Amino acid sequence: MNSKVYIVDDDEAIRDALIWLLKSRRVTAQAWPSAEAFLADWRPEMRGCLLLDVRMAGMSGLELYDLLCQRESRLPVIFLSGHGDIPLAVAAVKKGAYDFVEKPFNDNELVDRVISAIEVDAAHQEMLAGQAMLASSLSQLTPREHEVMERIMAGKFNKVIADELNIAMRTVEVHRARIFEKMGVKSAVELAQLLSGKR
Amino acid sequence: MIALASLLWLLHKQEVDEQRNTLIIDTLWVEQNLHFQLTRSKEQLQQVMHEYFNGDIPGELLDSRIRDLMANNPGLQQVLLLDDGGSVLRSSIGLAEQTIAGEGLRPEATFEALRLARASGNPVFSPPYADATHHLFDIVVPEFKNDIFIGSAVGTFAIRELLGKQVPWWFAQKYRLSVTNAEGVLLGAKSNVETGEESLSYMIPFDPPGHGLVLVATSYKVESGLIPNLLAVVIVGLGGGILISLWALRQHVQRRLAAELALSKEHAFRKAMEDSLFTGLRARDLEGRIIYVNPAFCRITGFSAEELIGLGPPMPYWAPEELESTLTAHRKVLAGQAPSEGVEVRLQRKNGERFDALIYEAPLIDAEGRHTGWMGSVLDVTERKRAEELARQQQEKLQLTARLVTMGEMASTLAHELNQPLSAISSYTTGCINRLEAGDLPRNELREALGKLAAQAQRAGRVIRRVYDFVRRSEPKRAHCAINEIVDDAVGLIEADARKHGVRIALRLAERPPLVMADRVMLEQVLLNLMRNGIEAMQAAEPEHRQLTVGTELADGCLLVSVADRGSGVAQEAAAHLFEPFFSTKPEGMGMGLNICRSIIEFHQGRLWADANSEGGTVFRFTLPIEPA
Repeated sequence: MNSKVYIVDDDEAIRDALIWLLKSRRVTAQAWPSAEAFLADWRPEMRGCLLLDVRMAGMSGLELYDLLCQRESRLPVIFLSGHGDIPLAVAAVKKGAYDFVEKPFNDNELVDRVISAIEVDAAHQEMLAGQAMLASSLSQLTPREHEVMERIMAGKFNKVIADELNIAMRTVEVHRARIFEKMGVKSAVELAQLLSGKR
Repeated sequence: MIALASLLWLLHKQEVDEQRNTLIIDTLWVEQNLHFQLTRSKEQLQQVMHEYFNGDIPGELLDSRIRDLMANNPGLQQVLLLDDGGSVLRSSIGLAEQTIAGEGLRPEATFEALRLARASGNPVFSPPYADATHHLFDIVVPEFKNDIFIGSAVGTFAIRELLGKQVPWWFAQKYRLSVTNAEGVLLGAKSNVETGEESLSYMIPFDPPGHGLVLVATSYKVESGLIPNLLAVVIVGLGGGILISLWALRQHVQRRLAAELALSKEHAFRKAMEDSLFTGLRARDLEGRIIYVNPAFCRITGFSAEELIGLGPPMPYWAPEELESTLTAHRKVLAGQAPSEGVEVRLQRKNGERFDALIYEAPLIDAEGRHTGWMGSVLDVTERKRAEELARQQQEKLQLTARLVTMGEMASTLAHELNQPLSAISSYTTGCINRLEAGDLPRNELREALGKLAAQAQRAGRVIRRVYDFVRRSEPKRAHCAINEIVDDAVGLIEADARKHGVRIALRLAERPPLVMADRVMLEQVLLNLMRNGIEAMQAAEPEHRQLTVGTELADGCLLVSVADRGSGVAQEAAAHLFEPFFSTKPEGMGMGLNICRSIIEFHQGRLWADANSEGGTVFRFTLPIEPA
């Protein structure tokens, strides 16, 4: 699913104006008139950024945010807050929301923040993908290869490793080549960088 | 009781001893009597026989002598005169009534006695013997002539008859007299009435006739004499009486002890109640001297009971600066005019700390109903007053906060309502600019965006109009009213507050001013606002200067109302902003009061302004046009 801006606001003019504004910067947007409506359409795979009005009839933006957190949504959230809701919006940011903007907004700045949120989400997504790949690579290693890899990471020479594991040095070299192949790296340094991303 | 019992026993013993002594004496007497009788019978028999053998008496005289003998000697049953051979010369048979049968009845015992008498030459008694009906014994008297035995006389006695005739009635009444032989066999008795087992008895040998005969006297169980019985009854009665009275005494003592215990418990309870009271109690006599204080009173004042009791006015716990009023209150109490709702007095503790006390006084009436003084209960109300004051302040703060919150909410709603269209306008505009800069905004899209923009601008306009409509809806309702009445009402509302702040309100009202066309409630609000400001402005002023003057007068065809305080006045720079909205000299002020006041007055076609008071402080004045009559 492509990145997109999801707008939830109960004021139609605001929704329309925001779509108009985002379109002027070539950002795709889709709008919902209430928190309940959005929640009904929500999918975990949704990528991009959520623009959420704090004060709405029915479920408030903050309640929706809490529910999304419970459902482990990773979608970055930018709150649109009116004059009286700033403390609420700040509290939401402290709980992990991406940002908040005060109405009336400085419009292009809002778009900038939306774009940065989308980028952050994408980067986050990429990182998750990398992690998943690393995990699958690691799962291909045999137990012996794990032992050898740990010792390589500890900076030990092949000879030392062979002595410690009580195997021939030649065997260590074979394991080493296999590990590099399975992890898709060419050197111990690359392997270390790959793992440090995880560890 | 033991002593009583032993006394009774001793008495009984003495009585028994006495009975025994009497018995012995009586028995001895009877024995003596019988002895005497038998001796006499023997002598008479001897006499008769002697005379007979000497031939001194003729035959017929002898018979009469024998008859006499038998008559005079009761118990003598038969007399025989025997010759030396033992043949009967003369017999009493036929001469007198004789109870034993058979002439010449001479059993072995008689012959034995005869032989003995002949041998000894002295009269001899035979051993007892029995015929068919009687136990008998004989007396044998020998007769000698020139030492030659010539004959003898034999007198036969029946024991029962002897006893029956010789023992007097009074003896028989007291005792049963019997004769037994050596083997203990009963030979005769005066009475056949049996006596009881434990009866007293006394035995004495019956000699003559001797031969082991024994006289036995046994007393009948006599009724104890009335007096000893009475004595015993009285003693037992008295003993019982003593026991009963002892028991009664014990009961009484127990009741008394119980009553004392209950009393002391009651006393302890009352003392505990008095001691645990938080209310101070103090009793004074009729002269006003303290006669009692409870621990709570001591706790409240800090003086000990010893320091207070006996003191007269002025009391050490009277605050010196309040001496006049306290003394007045004190005199009122002594005069019996203590207010029933209590009197509030400022007192001082021993350490000089002042406190407010609420005192209730009541006459002290003793158990006899005499009025002996005054009882006062003293409540330390300092805390309560402080709490009340605090509560009042809090209440005020709360009201202020509520007002602020309401206003804030309104402002917030308004801001939101306006923010929505403004935000949309801004977004449309920015979007348009963005696209115009990028050069890809077709005319039709621009027109569409501008249309939406205009719609949002109109929406904002509608919001503003709504606010305006709301304000218009709360337009005042004007009617004819008398300004002095409005002033009076407003003063009445604020009077309590003024008193609390030590501010006097003076009125200088015009007489019968013309009516004004005004909204009564609004004018009241203005007056209240101005008066409250005045009161608050005088907070720091000297108490004697705290006076607020409210006046009404006619001036230049207008009604002029003034509210003058003698506070700190208004600073030059503040005076310029006094009526601007959101300007306030008070830390918690909203800066709306005077602004609203001015709006209201202007609405009434009047004017509101402030001047410096010539006596210090500020005068607020407003005018109201007079309605043509």
